[in-house]
Amino acid sequence: MIIYDEYVTQIEGHGRVHFDIKDGKVEVRLEILEGSRLFESLLRGRRADEVPQMSSRICGVCPIAHNLAAVQALENAMGIGVSEQTRMLRKLMISSQIIVSHTLHLYLLSAADYLGINRLSDLYVKFPEVVKRCVRMRGVGNKCIEIVSGRAVHPINSIPGGFAKLPSKKDLEKLAKGFKSIMGDCIQTFNLFASLNYPEFERVTEYLALDDGEHFPAYCGRLVTNKGLNVEAKEYRNYLTEVFKPYSTSKFCVLKGHGFRVGAIARVNLFNDRLNPVAKQLLKNCPIKFPSDNPFHNNLAQALEIVHYAEEAIKIAEELSSTLKDEERPKQTRAGIGVGVVEAPRGTLIHEYTVEESGIVREANLITPTGMNTTNLEEDLYTLLTANRDKPKEHLKRVAEMLFRAYDPCLSCSTH
Amino acid sequence: MIWTKPKVAIFDLTDCEGCEVQILNSKFIERILESVEFLHFRFGQRVNRWEEFDVAFIEGAVITSHELGLVKKIREYSKLVVALGSCACFGGIAALNNFIGIEEAKKYVYGENADKIEILYIKPLSEIIRVDFMLRGCPIAPEDFERLVSDLLAGRISREHTRPVCMDCKSKGNPCFLLEGIACAGPVTYGGCGAPCPSAGMPCDGCRGPLEEPQMSAELELLKKIASKDDVIRLFRKFAPLAPLFREAGGEDR
Repeated sequence: MIIYDEYVTQIEGHGRVHFDIKDGKVEVRLEILEGSRLFESLLRGRRADEVPQMSSRICGVCPIAHNLAAVQALENAMGIGVSEQTRMLRKLMISSQIIVSHTLHLYLLSAADYLGINRLSDLYVKFPEVVKRCVRMRGVGNKCIEIVSGRAVHPINSIPGGFAKLPSKKDLEKLAKGFKSIMGDCIQTFNLFASLNYPEFERVTEYLALDDGEHFPAYCGRLVTNKGLNVEAKEYRNYLTEVFKPYSTSKFCVLKGHGFRVGAIARVNLFNDRLNPVAKQLLKNCPIKFPSDNPFHNNLAQALEIVHYAEEAIKIAEELSSTLKDEERPKQTRAGIGVGVVEAPRGTLIHEYTVEESGIVREANLITPTGMNTTNLEEDLYTLLTANRDKPKEHLKRVAEMLFRAYDPCLSCSTH
Repeated sequence: MIWTKPKVAIFDLTDCEGCEVQILNSKFIERILESVEFLHFRFGQRVNRWEEFDVAFIEGAVITSHELGLVKKIREYSKLVVALGSCACFGGIAALNNFIGIEEAKKYVYGENADKIEILYIKPLSEIIRVDFMLRGCPIAPEDFERLVSDLLAGRISREHTRPVCMDCKSKGNPCFLLEGIACAGPVTYGGCGAPCPSAGMPCDGCRGPLEEPQMSAELELLKKIASKDDVIRLFRKFAPLAPLFREAGGEDR
């Protein structure tokens, strides 16, 4: 029995769940059927300054993450060191990206699971204040991405070495005000998602996120897990393996042979002691505690992160609005191989490039957060559906879909 | 005729879904939610119906045989079909593999499993089904989408823009890249985007494809003086690589 004959709705990209019981044995497959665009192939032969823009096209929901992982990898390959100001602007981009992406996922994709909404227009008719809040939050986040990188979807001026054009101090001041104006909305979002009834389901797994030694995960860092992994990002090939499955265009990633989890729940499980003050206080008063092994709590972790990254964005925008100065963009100093890592909304993202002395990219390798989560999601689906095997098909479909959505998968990313 | 509550469908094929995100980013999103009925919108809602669509938006490139069948079915159900974004209009970034060679590209990514992955030779949507309007761009400009929706609600289809990106760029007061010796596709590219790239300090990369009757040979003559042949190919084969004139801009297909 395939519980879907069509693609799962309200997720990024095209996939479905296969579920069958043969001779009493449960069979579950996560079938990712997104068309392959073969990004690793088409980025070869391109100039390093084009690649961050091109790689952002992997995903229209998290283009900033791909842009910045590429920029960082190319800089490491070409021996380019960037200024603290550039790093701060990039962190501002990541903060906005995560707010915008999480808000989209929570309100427009996932909320329907908990509010009983079947059509987009019903959401607007029944919960107009929720839609308005979502529009306000996304509006401020998008404005920030537009001002810093040139456009809300697919950044323009973020290239190896820094920025082709810098925002003005006045713009940054406005952005800080903008983020302050949505703090109330962000907190209400957290309160809403803290009040939902999440399915009771737990499965112990390994959580991975980036650790820069100081901050809540965002830009750069070592690959760290709750089970003792702590390695430099450039060594990722020694630990992460991509496995081909004949029923999926996306490769399934494993960590030392087993499934693992990245994304909001992993970041909050590992580093909740590094959250900004308002987010930390909200978590303290929340009946749901982290670390959590309930994958549905990823929704709540995302809501919490919205508050954290809004606080972060205010901090950065305020500081830069007084310190911003024009800078020379550093240039390529060598040929080489470089790895770049950032926290995308859906988790740790890895880009690796080999760049020639001429500045042309020769080799490319990408591992996306959804690619990393696939094995774990399939294992979770197996456990959840096995536990519910005797329930009617409609129920199985509903819980499988809710779980799939709670992962906030991005199948365009995972197949790329 | 003024449309009241037109029945709308939005479909996504192989792509990044960034044009759909631009629709959700529209400042008119609340008005859109009030004034149209979404019959089919997989990304945005779970209950979807196949009934006659007044207008269907198709985003993305046709890469699998499933998608090939799907777009033909959509055409049968739709009064109007709009190609949403440059993947639908001009093959988009994935169509670069047409030039690399799909077999070679697959092998690079999937190695020994390459044979198990189906990827069609990419074509613009208009070469597969009849397309009534193209919303160009990677991603689409929200203003173009808003203009089209207002026009549709008023019972007409938007006129094509007839100006190059240079007109948008000049009105923003940007310095000219070409005058500074930097390759830019602005003079031959379909305008109306508001020139976000030059305004952000980067030259136009032609993501909206060519405007009608562009001065292509003059542009290529000029580029010859400031850019290598490979860089000219890279400029036009990026986000709208199958657009007429752009695909040949670097010489023969290769």
